[in-house]
Amino acid sequence: MTLSILIWLPLVVAVLGAILGGKVAPKLSLLGSLVTLGIAISFVVRFKSGEEGLQFLTDQSWISTLGISYKLGVDGLNVVLLLLAAFLFALVFVYANLREWERPGLFYFWLGLAETAVLGAFVAQDLILFVAFFDLMLIPFYFLTGMWGNGTREERVRGTQKLVIYTLVGSLLMLVAAIATGVLTAEQHDTRVTFAISALQELPLSKGTQEWIFLCFAAAFLVKMPAFPLHGWLPDGYKAMPLPALGVFSGVLSKVAAYGFLRIVLPVFPDASVHFQELILLIALASILYGSVMAFSAQNVRLVVAFSSVAQMGFITLGIFALNEDGAQGALLQMVNHGLVTVPLFFVVGLLAARAGGSEQIKDLGGIAFRAPVLATLFLIVSLATLAMPGSANFAGEFLILLGVFNAKAAFAFVASIGVALAAVYMLRAFIKSMHNRVSPTVDSREITFGDLGVLVPSVVVILALALYPQFGLEKTEQTTKQTVAQVQAKTGQLTADKTSEEQR
Amino acid sequence: MSTTTWGWLVLAFPLAGTILIGLGHKRLGRGPAGAIGTLAILLAFVSGVASLISLQDHESEHRQLVSSLWDYAVTGSIDARLAILVDPLSVFMMLVITGVSTLIHLYSVSYMKSDRGNARYFAYLNFFVFSMLVLVLAANFFLLIVGWAFVGAASYLLISFWYRRETATKAGIKAFVINVVGDVGLVLGTFFILRHAGTLDFLGTFRAVEEGAFASHHGALVAGCLLLLVGAFAKSAQIPFHTWLPDAMEGPTPVSSLIHAATMVTAGVYLISRMHPLFEHAQAAADVGAIVGCVTLLVAGTIALVQTDIKRVIAYSTMSQIGYMIMGVSAGAYAAGMFHLLTHAFFKALLFMAAGSIIGAMAGAQSLDKMSGFKRSMPFTFGCFVVGGLALSGVPPFSGFFSKDEILAFVGARGDWYVVLYVVGYVGAFLTGIYTWRMIFRAFFNRPSPEAVELEHGHIAHAEFPTNPANGEREDTEVGFPGPEHVIAEREIPMKVAMGLLAVGATVLGALQIPFVTHVIETFLDPVFEDSKYNSVHPSDGLIWFGMILGTVLALTGIAIAHFIWVRKPGTSAAIQARFKAVHTFLWHKWYFDELIDFLIVRPWSAFGGWCRTWFERVVAEGLLVGGATGVVKAGSQAVRALQTGFLRYYAALLLLGGAAVVLYFLIQST
Amino acid sequence: MDIGWYLVVSALIFCIGAGGVLTRRNPLVILLCLELMLNAANLALIAFSRMHGNADGQIFALIVMVVAACEVAVGLGLIVAIFRRKLPIDVDELKELQG
Repeated sequence: MTLSILIWLPLVVAVLGAILGGKVAPKLSLLGSLVTLGIAISFVVRFKSGEEGLQFLTDQSWISTLGISYKLGVDGLNVVLLLLAAFLFALVFVYANLREWERPGLFYFWLGLAETAVLGAFVAQDLILFVAFFDLMLIPFYFLTGMWGNGTREERVRGTQKLVIYTLVGSLLMLVAAIATGVLTAEQHDTRVTFAISALQELPLSKGTQEWIFLCFAAAFLVKMPAFPLHGWLPDGYKAMPLPALGVFSGVLSKVAAYGFLRIVLPVFPDASVHFQELILLIALASILYGSVMAFSAQNVRLVVAFSSVAQMGFITLGIFALNEDGAQGALLQMVNHGLVTVPLFFVVGLLAARAGGSEQIKDLGGIAFRAPVLATLFLIVSLATLAMPGSANFAGEFLILLGVFNAKAAFAFVASIGVALAAVYMLRAFIKSMHNRVSPTVDSREITFGDLGVLVPSVVVILALALYPQFGLEKTEQTTKQTVAQVQAKTGQLTADKTSEEQR
Repeated sequence: MSTTTWGWLVLAFPLAGTILIGLGHKRLGRGPAGAIGTLAILLAFVSGVASLISLQDHESEHRQLVSSLWDYAVTGSIDARLAILVDPLSVFMMLVITGVSTLIHLYSVSYMKSDRGNARYFAYLNFFVFSMLVLVLAANFFLLIVGWAFVGAASYLLISFWYRRETATKAGIKAFVINVVGDVGLVLGTFFILRHAGTLDFLGTFRAVEEGAFASHHGALVAGCLLLLVGAFAKSAQIPFHTWLPDAMEGPTPVSSLIHAATMVTAGVYLISRMHPLFEHAQAAADVGAIVGCVTLLVAGTIALVQTDIKRVIAYSTMSQIGYMIMGVSAGAYAAGMFHLLTHAFFKALLFMAAGSIIGAMAGAQSLDKMSGFKRSMPFTFGCFVVGGLALSGVPPFSGFFSKDEILAFVGARGDWYVVLYVVGYVGAFLTGIYTWRMIFRAFFNRPSPEAVELEHGHIAHAEFPTNPANGEREDTEVGFPGPEHVIAEREIPMKVAMGLLAVGATVLGALQIPFVTHVIETFLDPVFEDSKYNSVHPSDGLIWFGMILGTVLALTGIAIAHFIWVRKPGTSAAIQARFKAVHTFLWHKWYFDELIDFLIVRPWSAFGGWCRTWFERVVAEGLLVGGATGVVKAGSQAVRALQTGFLRYYAALLLLGGAAVVLYFLIQST
Repeated sequence: MDIGWYLVVSALIFCIGAGGVLTRRNPLVILLCLELMLNAANLALIAFSRMHGNADGQIFALIVMVVAACEVAVGLGLIVAIFRRKLPIDVDELKELQG
């Protein structure tokens, strides 16, 4: 069982579904996603934590004249993310199956293509291959938003345009930077051009070159996450996207961007990472605060979740750029946690809107818990997890992130902890205003259906399971995180600082 | 079974109770839910007793036992395990919590019997007890913070139990957010301590402190302890994090009795006691704790003098008494502080339960302005109020007298500027007598109110339609609102049993620590506090006697003054109010803390949020950046589109011109 | 004869054809002029073939003729379709395919 099967299976199923037509496509895609999930689980089970280097390696030369290889591999950084992506896509396929769509064959095709692209981006070990999958990820969402989105045609077009053009500008910068990396590395070290990430790690570029290349990569990833101030596409884009697509977009695609920092930027451009550390920490901090503030002022419950994503991704970026093991471990754990809470949250947004005559405006919601206690309980559990209540895995992640930042640059940790308090405000406000207080006149409260439970219950179960045992994720990622961070610190002489804290243990 | 196994069982029973009731809430009606809940906590109490007996079997040096289930988050610099610490302090807290909780569950069986959300209530209540037990049994900072937050969440769920009331949900979110601020304080404090101690484990940290890990990092220890204090103050409703407690009275009365009298608010006291090795090395932080506790006990006492909602009077008295405890444990009087925690749990829970009874008689109204003369119609409730009131005011031989005086004697013996705290403590005791008996005299003496008259004739008053006592809004009795029936203690056996047992405790528990005679608690807790540097501080005999006499005199004087103002000459309080209008308004508005916090924190952030949403997002993020990028791309594409005119001849011309240009280029190049 | 003469004639015919394509509005006439241009190119090819003495140019000219025939077939088919749909047979009017 090679990784290629894992990543191409969803696309194959998607094409089959598109050919066989609308009646078969939904069930077939669901089956395909469950099989993919099973394969991903098998990879995770067979993964050996604590082993150095890539496992399940696939390394074939693709375009040898350009030095591009078809190289796939799994290590601590992406093993849990693979599982997360497969699980979330399976959830989304269940969700999509519960609703009717026009031209279903095409709809499920685009979702399948998205899954392939995401899985490919996670396991790609060649820079150009990664960029290719990264750009490929965006295309299905152009169609999904444009053809099946919400709102008037005008709003859909506007949302799609902003989403695609803005993200693409970043991606193009990244493409330029990626090509430059390969070419300039070959020039500066007088070797053949290669784009394999492991090879590029061994051959660092000069400081000046690293810096502009870092900025291009950072631009692409920060737009995708999104981070303040490059988040302008978020409100219109998210409002226009159909909810299943939005679930994976927010839950998985943003993680590819964060993962890109850990996989590519930190190991291959360590000097630049240290040079720009404070800048990126500032951006992360601004995202946390701005996202939280916008979340608690939002009038549309979908935007509350959207801006909470901005804040959460800010925490993840904060953890990555603490440039130490605690921060990176926390960031990886948070990536998984955030993905796990985002899909159920957007799903609940859909359920709330369905019970309020289609409106997602907070003023139209209220008192929905009245006849829907199970929905209220599940929504509450997910909300508490999102605001990183201690006891959830989200708290373990945030604890590690804040500890990492505290040890790196303490002041940032203090400001970031304001974000923790704000998260409680916006999440609980959204919960109370939609579920409690007087029953709003437009609300028709009814209990959650059995089918809808099929989406919420698995997510809540996994959230609770991970809350009981976050070590599951942490132990798998530990070895590789240590290596990734050590490289950054070694190359910039910060290893001494780490050694002192190690001795005190 | 080993001691720690009993410890795990204590945790397991309430958790099982929550899950059982939660999963079966549709089928479990009123009766079974309450029975399961009460039984779960009773079993937890029994396990607690068993662990106590088992613990005492160990030798005194080996009474701090840790048991770990699995690695929770062991990576990088942290080593968080799912581990419990069973030692005299945690067993003491465990017994207080489970013991009082069992009685409150019993009381709730009657009190909540007609509420549509009965099963939900018991699930939440069991969850709360579970959370509190996690908090006191935690063996490391991580699990402590988890328990801390769970308690906050459970308290939110219970405060906004009647969730269709806007007043309740507002109070709930306020409590939760202030709690989260406390959590953040705890987390940041942990970071400071972890950095130099190297482990999250309590015993490991204390060892590191003793061995001098903070010798050259004193500032970090003080900072860490101050941040831990933020958490403690938020949870124990000390100034300036106290504004959630009075609003939390929106919850059902048994909830107030459990959470805001006996258990949750005592978490801060537990924290300081548990962290005593750290605080003793960070004197500045301990001093801050003592000062804040002292200020709180005085301020809360003054506010309680003018409140008219009976539950809020008791709430502020809780705040004041917790102030005593915080002051005590910060100063080093650990055994005394814990003793007061125990006695306070009994008499305060009793007072709340009795308040619940009289509120039932008033058909849900809670205002002292409306209640009077219930002495004849509610003798049992009256008796409970009297016992509780005497204990609270510190009249011998009731328990509150011994515990409060022990704290104050120790504080006095500390000397230096702690004498100021000593004096303020007695001023507070004086105020306690006044406000407690003001409440009792107003509710039970003088001419009976209409509801009291109705009760004397044998039936409980009912309002025409249910309303929210806080703002008078009409309600129904469906899910999310209180049930239709009101209960009083005189008619409900479970309530009588619970209140009776508490009354007995409030009366006799003083015997545990009679000065010069018994020191049961001190001896029991000794293994935990034997390394404390305050073990050598002993109040002199003279100081002890002086304190006891002064305490008694002040308490009795307070009761006498209250009797004079509210029974003998009823017009007096109105006259005083008119005379000191400004002071009265100031106290009525609770020293304007709510307004202050609203002005300093809530308004600026809301305004900032509104500004971001309306201006910044529209103009900068969308307009400038996104609009800019898309604008550039659109302009570019417009430019290119201009070439596609649709004219065939135009295309042909371009083709020919282009071809000609290429040919010319090569032609010229080759020459 | 000097190859120059043939090339001049070919150039002249090409230019006349090009001028016709650029200035005439009737698609049929444009096709005719297109034929002129193609045949001018053929002439040049055959002239060069004669000059070099091998058959390469002539074979290529045959191929050009085949292509011309196909292209005319498609073009005439388009014009018939336009006529059938009662659209104006005027290249300036048929400009819906614009950006």
